[in-house]
Amino acid sequence: MGNELLIIEDNAQNFYMMKFLLEKNGFSIIGTENGRDGIKAALEHTPRAILLDIQLPEMDGYEVAAALKTHKEMADIPIIAVTSYAMAGDRENILAAGATGYIEKPINPETFVDEIRQYLP
Amino acid sequence: MNRFCSIFRKNVFFISILLLWMTLIPSFFCGTAHARIVKIGIYENAPKVFTDASGKPAGIFVDVIEYVSKKQGWQIRYVTGTWAEGLDRVTSGEIDLMPDVAPSPERKKHYSYHQVPVLSSWFQVYAPKGSGIKSILDLNGKKIAVLDRSIQKEAFEELKQGFEMNSTLITVPDYTTLFKITRDKEVDAAITNRFYGLQYAKDFDLEDTAVIFHPSNLFFAAAVGTRQDLLNAIDTHLASLKKDPDSVYYQSLKTWTAEKVKFTLPLWIQMLGLLIMVFLIAALAGSAILRKQVTVRTRQLENVNHTLQTSEKKYRELVTLANSIILRWSVDGRILFLNDFGLQFFGYTEPEIIGKQMTDTIVPEMESTGRNLNKIIRDIPDRFKAYEQHINENIRRNGDRVWIDWRNRLIVDDKGLPKEILSIGSDITPLKQAEQKINQLNRDLQQHAQNLEKQVQDRTAELTVAMEKAQAADHLKSAFLATMSHELRTPLNSIIGFTGILLQGLAGPLNEEQQKQLGMVQNSSRHLLALINDVLDISKIEAGQLSLSFSCFDLRDSIEKTVHLVQPLAQKKALELLVEIDETVSEVTTDQRRLEQIIINLLNNAVKFTEQGHIRVVCRPEKDHYLLAVEDTGIGIHPDEISGLFQPFHQIDTGLSRKREGTGLGLSICKKLIQMMNGRIDVRSQEGKGSTFTLCLPKNCEVSHGK
Repeated sequence: MGNELLIIEDNAQNFYMMKFLLEKNGFSIIGTENGRDGIKAALEHTPRAILLDIQLPEMDGYEVAAALKTHKEMADIPIIAVTSYAMAGDRENILAAGATGYIEKPINPETFVDEIRQYLP
Repeated sequence: MNRFCSIFRKNVFFISILLLWMTLIPSFFCGTAHARIVKIGIYENAPKVFTDASGKPAGIFVDVIEYVSKKQGWQIRYVTGTWAEGLDRVTSGEIDLMPDVAPSPERKKHYSYHQVPVLSSWFQVYAPKGSGIKSILDLNGKKIAVLDRSIQKEAFEELKQGFEMNSTLITVPDYTTLFKITRDKEVDAAITNRFYGLQYAKDFDLEDTAVIFHPSNLFFAAAVGTRQDLLNAIDTHLASLKKDPDSVYYQSLKTWTAEKVKFTLPLWIQMLGLLIMVFLIAALAGSAILRKQVTVRTRQLENVNHTLQTSEKKYRELVTLANSIILRWSVDGRILFLNDFGLQFFGYTEPEIIGKQMTDTIVPEMESTGRNLNKIIRDIPDRFKAYEQHINENIRRNGDRVWIDWRNRLIVDDKGLPKEILSIGSDITPLKQAEQKINQLNRDLQQHAQNLEKQVQDRTAELTVAMEKAQAADHLKSAFLATMSHELRTPLNSIIGFTGILLQGLAGPLNEEQQKQLGMVQNSSRHLLALINDVLDISKIEAGQLSLSFSCFDLRDSIEKTVHLVQPLAQKKALELLVEIDETVSEVTTDQRRLEQIIINLLNNAVKFTEQGHIRVVCRPEKDHYLLAVEDTGIGIHPDEISGLFQPFHQIDTGLSRKREGTGLGLSICKKLIQMMNGRIDVRSQEGKGSTFTLCLPKNCEVSHGK
């Protein structure tokens, strides 16, 4: 299994920031700007983990997580929600939708990579 | 009558005794030689001569002889017997004088008389009532009783012979026997002198017949040729006695008989006179009685009349002066009477209104309420009971409408048909006006109440709308804040992320100045993040969207962890950070993250507002809760500030000059969170000396929280 991570994130700066940080720590990054492409990429590449933003155009994070979980080959791939949603129940809702982990934005660049590693199989 | 007589007889007896005594006294003193004893015969022929009830001689002859004896100084001795015995005694010389003797040719041979008669008398026939004897001829064939040897006997025998009548004469010894046998019908009639007859006929139920005959004079008689001195003396005194109307003689006549001494008058005139007298007296007495009765009756009537007048006056005054309207009206609605008060009240004079229809004067056709009063007035006599008390509108002459409370009484005629109505009325216009005013006020009040109710409803509706709007706005605000929070975090994520990357040297080495400036960017972005978090928290709490997640954890660990987090800041300001946790402090069930948020907030504030001294964290259990105090020796809080301390966006030294960092939301979030945990936060502070914030935290907030 490679060291490939899929980041589904519509904000270019955030994507770049995370990609930079993770690549500096030895990960290779695939990115998509929307859920549909994200699902396609996930099925195509079967990444080690998927970093999923919640607020996305067309399909939101919940739908994406739910869709991914319908694919057998996606069953063991952790989905880590990285989101700026901080309202009550957000964490519970996304975990219920099929996410493995939850990281609140803004991220702490000093601890972010360690947090991701924590969810990897 | 008898009783009357006997009283007189008694009196006469005493007078006689007195006279006797008076006649005796002089003779006694003058010597017995002059005292001549005169014996007088007595027989029963009242009232002329008789023996009274006490056995003493009495009568007119006795009175006369007593008077003469007294004058002459004689001493009288009476010898009682029958008429015949008396006559015999005179002739035999046994007595000196026999009274009541009528001279006749035959008697003249045996008796001597004086000249002046003592009495004159008539004979009369008496018979039982209804005898039918009207004239002397009716006595033919009848049995007639007569006194033995009397002059009546002689006279009647002469009449009998003259009229050739065949009547049987029965002689009796005295008058009493005479009347008795006549009453007992042993004889048909009796002849007697009128003196006796008048007095006693009634006692024997006899009536006097029209047969009157033989007038005769009566004298004292002596034996022929003897006692001439006595007879002369009698004549002398009788002559003088008869001249004086007040003499003993007339008094005696008056005493013994009702008959007047007008002997010269014919008997029928005397009788007539007597009858007229009796009639007159009876008439006078009757008229007096009648007059008296009339007077009494008149007085009674006057009294009754006076009482009636007084009473009537009283009632008239009552009616005319009463302070009520008193009205009488006929069944066809005409006014028959109206008292003064009523006249004055309605503004009419009596001639103006009496006889007029009520509807033309004091009653309006239509009441202001719309009732037809004309119809009601026509209705009253027929359906009277319904109108015994009736309130209606009336009208004064000047057109003023008034309200009268009428009490009506129906007056019926002899046949029981309605005749007139008596109405007594009181003016209740002010009452009615007050009532109307009250009704109006009531209506106003009701209207007002309805208005108020409507206002309240409107206002409630408005408030509901406003509240819904507010709630909607609240939701909107929350949604806005959530969105804003998200939208702010996204760029902040890049800022914080890249700053961290740069500071870590991941993008290449930094010089000292770059390092310093990027550090400032990092601080600012962290502060901005804290601000965003706090705003989000408060908005979540206020929108009721913040929910706690409870777990059981060790309180000591949480406290120590938070103290550890704040330690670097305290050290930087050279403040001593003391922790005193009681040995018994252990598990607590509450929202750990939020509790730690509170403790960090309090510790951060303590460090922030303290320049020197120490910060002390004390925790100990008390009953079912823990007390956790954060104490500092900082600037303290002015008493005026304490009340607003827990309000959102509050910070001491507000304004541009503030030197403390912070959002001003911390304490208000703390208070709201601790309240959600069923706990409490209190503050005690002395300005310039320090503050103590104390949390009261239930050991298990789930027990009472219910979540």
